[in-house]
Amino acid sequence: MWETLGYLAAGLAASLQPLNFLMILTGLAIGIVAGALPGITMLNSIVLVLPFTYLMGIVPSLLLMTSIYIGGVFGGSITGILFNIPGDPMNVPTTWEGYQLNKKGQVRLALGMAIMASAIGGFLSALILTFASPPFARVALTFSTVEYFAVVVLGLASVVVIGQVSIAGALMSLFAGMFLGTVGTEAQYGITRFAFGIKFLDTGIDFVTVLIGLFAIGEVLDQLSASKDAAGGDPATPSTARAQLPSPRQLWALRGSILRGLGTGVVIGAIPGTGATVASFVSYGLEKQVSKHPERFGTGVLEGLTASETSVNASTGGAMIPLLTLGIPGSGATAVMMGAFLLHGVQPGPLLFAKNPHEVYTIFVGMLLANLIMIVMGLIAARCFAQLMKVPEPILAAFIIAFCFLGAYALRNDMSDVWVTMLFGVLGFFMRRYNLPIPPLILGIILGPLAEQYFLTSMVSHGNDVTVFLTRPVSAAVLLTSAGLLVWPALRWRFGRRRAYEVKKA
Amino acid sequence: MRAARRSIGPALILLAGAGLFVAAGRLPVVPVPGQLGPDFWPRLVLVGLMTACVLKILEVARAKGPGPEATAPAPVSRPKLVGGMALVLSYPALAPLLGFPLTNFFFLLAFMRLVGMRRPLPLLLTGLLGTVALLYVFVKVVYLPLPKGAGVMEDFTIFLYRLLRIF
Repeated sequence: MWETLGYLAAGLAASLQPLNFLMILTGLAIGIVAGALPGITMLNSIVLVLPFTYLMGIVPSLLLMTSIYIGGVFGGSITGILFNIPGDPMNVPTTWEGYQLNKKGQVRLALGMAIMASAIGGFLSALILTFASPPFARVALTFSTVEYFAVVVLGLASVVVIGQVSIAGALMSLFAGMFLGTVGTEAQYGITRFAFGIKFLDTGIDFVTVLIGLFAIGEVLDQLSASKDAAGGDPATPSTARAQLPSPRQLWALRGSILRGLGTGVVIGAIPGTGATVASFVSYGLEKQVSKHPERFGTGVLEGLTASETSVNASTGGAMIPLLTLGIPGSGATAVMMGAFLLHGVQPGPLLFAKNPHEVYTIFVGMLLANLIMIVMGLIAARCFAQLMKVPEPILAAFIIAFCFLGAYALRNDMSDVWVTMLFGVLGFFMRRYNLPIPPLILGIILGPLAEQYFLTSMVSHGNDVTVFLTRPVSAAVLLTSAGLLVWPALRWRFGRRRAYEVKKA
Repeated sequence: MRAARRSIGPALILLAGAGLFVAAGRLPVVPVPGQLGPDFWPRLVLVGLMTACVLKILEVARAKGPGPEATAPAPVSRPKLVGGMALVLSYPALAPLLGFPLTNFFFLLAFMRLVGMRRPLPLLLTGLLGTVALLYVFVKVVYLPLPKGAGVMEDFTIFLYRLLRIF
């Protein structure tokens, strides 16, 4: 214990050295901006800074990357709340509640709560990372594809609770997304599925193109076509679009959501292959399940926003656990960080704590500091992005589409991706008009391929014995929770109807 | 009548799902004994999709009155919608022919005009300066090889890049 505290004190001193501190600030700024811009992901920006880390030591390199990671997972919530355009898939649940709060005139609180929830989630997860990483990693090491599959199913099952109007509609959207995820070259046999001779479909449909199209372009078309009278609540006026940090009393009232988001984020973040996106959807679904008023979710509920935003940043600490203690990257971002370790001749894993304790604890303290500094950086960033709301609607709408073009094109320098984005934009408009929920489709296209990969690998490993999912305790427990998620709304509807009937009869 | 109209969408998706289910069975693969084929997962997903469509049709048929999701959609300005969709789809269609700079300039002008920007000078200036700014950021700084156009338009784009000192 004392030894750990000693390392932490040394880590604090090292983190405050000018170069290291500058890397934290730079990383946060890059991460927030990259996370906020649709089409430019936090992962892209971590990859882009990798060549620059050749010039630095391992500590500033990792501080830069972890700060981009921390800023990046938060950044997408700003544009989600302000413009209904989540910067990354992980910010989608935050957008559902945040944009509605914006339309209700509570944009300052929504932004402030997103910043505080992110900072708290990130800070506490970094603390957990510091003190509990070795034992936690030992448990995760026992997980196989069977458990990973169960966790992905839990994420998919959350669609039932996030389907706001019709469960059948939500399921249609989810399965359509999962089907789109099967398009392209299949990993096990190497054959191309459902490309129908269209060359660019051989490599599959990039979910980012679908995401940009459905959310950003669909929203622009919807706003364009709606007459002013019928458009409903307008987003906040520029003068009110600043973040207002919540009071301690408001935070205390949301302690349950914060703790659930923290727990979900850390646990799911630590399971390799899942990460912030799954964490945000699962925590949002969980929050809706435990809520006394689940029907209000999707209309601007702080609990939903707080839980998902806490879990997204909590997953950053969680994802670092298997990387640092086992040498297993838990997400794309940590995979690039592993590359940075190896570039500097350092092998992440159990020996890292014995061989390079000073470096490891400097990274831990750097993460703690980055999450605290993010409160200030988040306030500044929210204010800068809010200035965009002063831009007249015609200019904003035209440039959003231009940025969507550039974001889609930048993925592979291929016009086909732009076509996919634009076509999904048109589809997004019709889905909005016909009340087909968009988020389940996004969830399906992201998690569907993961579910397939884990399911088929489990089947190969266990001789096509499907009972393996129920005989392994962790998998069985997670699948049982998923079944509960699926059955609970139906039971509640049934009992609700009976109660209403009895009240009417009485 | 309304229920029948609202069932058309799910019914069409159901039919498409059935067609794709059949197509999945025709994937050119030699199955490995004891291993699930590449058609297994898509078929499982398509069964889910078709079941969801049936549930949706039943939900629509059972709903008395307009139903919870039949809240009257906001009125649509058809000319604006059709114009917006046409512009959005013509953007990627024209970019490889005219090149990104010219296509983007015309797109910005047309879209801003469609949304409601009337005054010609701000319209032209925003289109022009916006395009130049995007070119500087994405071509000069980020090195994104944006479409230059075909034939003479490619020469024009390169001339423009040289004029702006991007190349």
